[in-house]
Amino acid sequence: MARKSQENPTLDMTPMIDVVFELIIFFVVTLTEAQRKDETIELEDGKHGIVLTPEELPPTHMQIDIASRDKTGKYLPRGRITMGDREISPSEIGLRVKERLRKIGEFPVLIRADFNCRHEAVARVMNACTEAGLWKISFMAVGEDKTSKPGRPGRKHLDALNRRGGR
Amino acid sequence: MARKPQEQPQLDMTPMIDVVFELIIFFVVTIKQEDLFTRLNANRPAPSTGSSSSDSDTTVTIEIGKGRDANGVLVYNKREMRRKELDQNLREVSRTSKKTPIIIRCTEDSPHKALVDVLDICYRNELFSVSIFTM
Repeated sequence: MARKSQENPTLDMTPMIDVVFELIIFFVVTLTEAQRKDETIELEDGKHGIVLTPEELPPTHMQIDIASRDKTGKYLPRGRITMGDREISPSEIGLRVKERLRKIGEFPVLIRADFNCRHEAVARVMNACTEAGLWKISFMAVGEDKTSKPGRPGRKHLDALNRRGGR
Repeated sequence: MARKPQEQPQLDMTPMIDVVFELIIFFVVTIKQEDLFTRLNANRPAPSTGSSSSDSDTTVTIEIGKGRDANGVLVYNKREMRRKELDQNLREVSRTSKKTPIIIRCTEDSPHKALVDVLDICYRNELFSVSIFTM
């Protein structure tokens, strides 16, 4: 690839394009990494809760996901409990909570449970935490829905409630 | 610095502007897709204490059970009620004292969304000391 030298040397664009592509790839990858969580979980609305921001929630928190269906769409009465991307049993959660309590003291537990879950699945996780010595539990809910369609099944009732006028 | 600025070819800004626009568009598009999430805190009773519901009559107990549809049934003051009614009742409670402890009793087959709804109603009425029992 021998370049023809012209009288007026033009700016070589290649490194700039390289850098841009690298940036785009970097952001796409980090974004998908950050969003890699169980997509089957749909949360119920909870507009009046504490708004979740990275500053508000300490980085030591522990998030536990509870899906109501398996990956094929079959309904699971006892739920599918995952942490990170790995399926986990309540007794394992208990062990982890206990270990973390010993290491860093009290930390928030955030349960991200599908609105369609039976309470039993949530209770199993809560009991595991309580038995390990942690009595404060937080539930994750949707504060403001920007991606789903308005007819999301979880929000019908609270829509009617909020029409009364917020605070 | 012996360079003569007059002979230097002008730097073309167009690709840089292109790149900046592309980045701006990228960020606008990705940021818009973020939902805003909240969290609702609740306490669990210590495993050893079995009955604490009878300690005072100022506590408010809300029961959640399985209903005919997916929304579950809410029972307050031995009366089944809809979310709106419960909201009105809890507003009365909140007016008396915002520190009133709320006890939510869920059956195992009640839907999780009912629990979140009740917690949200409690938060709406600024009642924050909520504990959850499982029946």
